[in-house]
Amino acid sequence: MTLILCLIFPLSAFAGVPLEAVKSNVDKVLDVLRDPSLKAESARKAKKDKLRAISEKMFDFTELSKRTLAQNWSKFNPEQQKEFVELYTSLLEDAYANKIMAYTDEKIVFSKEVALTEKTVEVQSRVLRKNGDIPLYYRVILKDGVWRVYDVVVEGVSLINNYRSQFREILANKPPESLLETLRKKVGKA
Amino acid sequence: MKLIYNFILVSVLMLCPASLQADTSSTAPDTVQSHVPETSMATQILSDANSDTNEVAQKQPEFTPPDERTIIVLPQRNEAEAKEAQEVASAENETDTGAEEEGPRIHDPLAPVNKVMYHFNDRLYFWVLKPVTQVYSHIIPEDFRIIFGNVYDNLWAPSRMLNNLLQLRFKAAGNELIRFLVNSVAGMAGVGDVARDALGIKKQEADFGQTLGHYGIGHGFYLVLPVFGPSSLRDGVGLAGDRFMYPLTYVSSSDLTFEESTGIYAHEKVNDTSFKIGDYESFKESAIDPYVSMRDAFVQHRKKKVEENRSNSLSHARKGL
Repeated sequence: MTLILCLIFPLSAFAGVPLEAVKSNVDKVLDVLRDPSLKAESARKAKKDKLRAISEKMFDFTELSKRTLAQNWSKFNPEQQKEFVELYTSLLEDAYANKIMAYTDEKIVFSKEVALTEKTVEVQSRVLRKNGDIPLYYRVILKDGVWRVYDVVVEGVSLINNYRSQFREILANKPPESLLETLRKKVGKA
Repeated sequence: MKLIYNFILVSVLMLCPASLQADTSSTAPDTVQSHVPETSMATQILSDANSDTNEVAQKQPEFTPPDERTIIVLPQRNEAEAKEAQEVASAENETDTGAEEEGPRIHDPLAPVNKVMYHFNDRLYFWVLKPVTQVYSHIIPEDFRIIFGNVYDNLWAPSRMLNNLLQLRFKAAGNELIRFLVNSVAGMAGVGDVARDALGIKKQEADFGQTLGHYGIGHGFYLVLPVFGPSSLRDGVGLAGDRFMYPLTYVSSSDLTFEESTGIYAHEKVNDTSFKIGDYESFKESAIDPYVSMRDAFVQHRKKKVEENRSNSLSHARKGL
C-alpha cells in the first residue's frame, strides 16, 4: 500500500504515513459505528465512550487549542490553559459525537496528502453522500513520531479558524476567565 | 384557501441558512435583488476595498506624540509592547503557527440588521422548513428525491458552464456543456446523471459570485439574506447574475406564473434540504456564537471556492475530466 502511494505521489516526503495514520483511526471509528452489538439505543453511552477513546488518540487537543486561541493563548495562565483544553475538548466531543453517530452508510475515500510545513501535512478525504461529495481534510502534526490531527477542514471551513473567530469576539473585551465561564456553561448544558 | 396556499409557499421559501452550499446553488427571486442598481454596487465594492487600506494608512501617524507627557509614557509602552510581541512570537514558534494563515475576515457594518435576519431564518428553519421537509421525505422515497435533485441540478448546468467560461476554465466549461446535453437527452431532462455514471464527467461547480471573486472583486460586506442565508454584497449580486443564466427565468409568465415558479423553487429547496436534515442543528449545537460561526464559515467557504477554481484555471484542470 505504501509503495503504491509512493508511486502515485512521488513528491510527498512522507510516503503515506500521515494518511495511513488518519485512515486507520477513521476506520476504527467506522468499525464502532457499524458494530451491530452497539446499534441499540441502550448502547449509546458505550458507543460514545469508545468513540472518545479513539478521538483522544487521533487528535492532539493541546495543539488544537493553542492554534485556536493563537495570540490569545498567552493571555491564559497555565491553569487556565489546562482548563481551556479540557473544556474545549469536551465541547468538540459532545458536538461531534451526535453528528458522527447519525452516520448511516456513507463511504469515506482518502485521496491524497499535501505537505504544509516540515511537520504538518493535510490528509484529504471525501465523504460520499447520496446527493454529492463533501471534501473533508485532516491537518496532522508530527510529534514524538506520531501524526495527530490538529485541525479538520470541511468544504474549506477550518474548524480552528471558525472557533478562533468566535473566541476572538469574546476575548476582545473580556478576560480569559469569562470565556472559560461561557465554555463551562456550554459543556454543562450539552 | 388560495391565501393559505400562498402563505405556505412563501413561508417555505423563507428557508434556512443551513447549508452553505445553498448560497452557491440556490436561485434568487428577482424581488430580492433587482432594485439595487448594479453599477453603484460595483463602485461601492471598490471604494469599500480602498477605504480598508486607507484606514490603516491613516492610523499610523497617530503615533507621533502630541505633548511631552506622552513622550515620557511612550517608551514604557513600547517596551511592554515589544515584550508582548516577543511573547506572541515565542508562543507562535512553540505552536508552529508560522505556516498557519489567519482565517479570512469580512466587514459586517450591517450586523444589527444581519442578526435580525439570521434569527428570522433560524425560526423559519425550525418552524416551517424542517417540519415540511420531514413530512415530504416521509412521503417521497429517497430514489425519487435523488431524481428531483438531478433535474434541478441539470437546470443550473448552463449557469455553471457560462461561469466556468468567464473564469477561463475552458475544460470545465466544456464538461458542463457535455453534461447538460447528455443529461438532458440521454438522461431525459436530467432524471439521471448519465454523464457522471456512464461517462465519468463530474459536475464543475461555478457561480457568478465566484466569477466576480475570480477577477479580484472582494465581498464588500457581509449580508444575511432572508431565505438564502449568509451572503455578501458580491455574492448577492452573484445570485441575481446566476438567475439570468437560469433557463426557467426565460419561460414566459403565461406558461409559468409567479406562484408556480415560487412553488418550483420551494420544492427544489425542500428536496435539497431532505438530504441535509440535522446539519443545521449540529452546526448550532457546536457553536459558541452561531452568528459569528456562520459568518466565518461563509467567508472561509467562499474563499476556498474562489481559490480552488482560480488555481484550476491556471493549471488547466489538472484533474482532467
